[in-house]
Amino acid sequence: MTATPEGAAAPERRATRRLAEPDLPHFDIGDLDAPTREALSSLLLTMADDEFVLGFWDSEWTGIAPMLEEDVAFSSLAQDEIGHARLLYEMLAQLRGGNADELAFGRHADEYHHCLLLDHPRTDWAFSVARRWLYDTADAVRLDALRRSAFAPLAQVVEKIRREETYHLMHMDVWMRRLAQGGEPHDRLEKALATLWPDALSMFASVPDEGRLIDEGILASTMSDLAERQYEQLSAVLVNLGLSVPGRRPSWEDGRARAQASDSFRWLWGEFTMVHRLEEGASW
Amino acid sequence: MSQEGAGAQEQAGPLGQPVPDRGPTAKPAPSSEGRHDDAARLGEGAEPDVWEVFRQEKDGDQMRHAGNVRAPDRDLATHYARELYSRRQESVRLWIVSRRDITDLSDPDLLQPPLDRTFKKPGGYVMRDKLDAARKRAAASDGSKAGGGEGGAA
Repeated sequence: MTATPEGAAAPERRATRRLAEPDLPHFDIGDLDAPTREALSSLLLTMADDEFVLGFWDSEWTGIAPMLEEDVAFSSLAQDEIGHARLLYEMLAQLRGGNADELAFGRHADEYHHCLLLDHPRTDWAFSVARRWLYDTADAVRLDALRRSAFAPLAQVVEKIRREETYHLMHMDVWMRRLAQGGEPHDRLEKALATLWPDALSMFASVPDEGRLIDEGILASTMSDLAERQYEQLSAVLVNLGLSVPGRRPSWEDGRARAQASDSFRWLWGEFTMVHRLEEGASW
Repeated sequence: MSQEGAGAQEQAGPLGQPVPDRGPTAKPAPSSEGRHDDAARLGEGAEPDVWEVFRQEKDGDQMRHAGNVRAPDRDLATHYARELYSRRQESVRLWIVSRRDITDLSDPDLLQPPLDRTFKKPGGYVMRDKLDAARKRAAASDGSKAGGGEGGAA
């Protein structure tokens, strides 16, 4: 970076920025009956785990992304995901008791519910671009089904998350278009998509008691409907980009089903819980 | 980000002409149109362009030079500028300008002519008392209208 004249001039004003309102709106859990609370908790846990695990996978690029600028940008995107996860874990903690840190770091590797798309290791840059693009496009569909949620605090949080995710998607669209142009990047991208394809819709595995969430107006459509929508959009864009993927439509019903954590996730879990496990119960 | 400093800017383009490309990204350029496309292909030996970034800290402030980013096209330049100069919410507006669109003027004959120019400087005039008086007048007429401006001190 070339030197900026700004530093030498008047002492920089450090505006203290206070949030106009807390990110997590106050809510009364008494507004929800117990079964609805349970169903909502299941949904929130899958969403929070998805964001959390993606954030940690992508933070693995910090320091080694293709360019310094991309390094900063991609790391910032990863931080955004951790921020979204924090909000969702906090909401979950209010619904079920416990605290967000314990939910995020205090579980065994086998107890996370992230979708299978996030069980793959970081691999190469094309793979991480492909994975994040698949994730962000799917996440946009999921968030869209929650933005008018009858559970107002969720609608508010989703609206804020969506504003950041819109930008994430733009960033990934740029990279998909770039890599799809041809040559080695194109080949690597197709290879990555072929590996990820069976899990492309895994985010839309149904959540327990989903019907109740729909009846209550918390979730706008079934996960199956969302998966169909995502599949159609995905196929159209991939054709547009001149990318071929295995023709079969991926299944999604078992999108979070696993006997135990994958080896790559177990490794990641070891990384992101390392500090937490140093001193159980310490406050940081 | 570009390491290029003022020292690298030795040759000046003719007045009013775009600067010849001199950055670390410089390479022989057949035509100004083809170059963006060439540079758009990362990983094929093409170095990305340099984009100068200006930021506004709050509404009404001047745009100030913040620094620069390297990016192979305008889209990525925009994304990188956002992350490098506003990810901590320190800006309300950014301008992202390709360095090749900047007119560079550093010709000493134009900027530092050899003849004495001290007569163009305001040295020797004592302005302090006049300024103080003007400020008082301004404050008096301002105060009758509104709460008065802060930040008037130069």
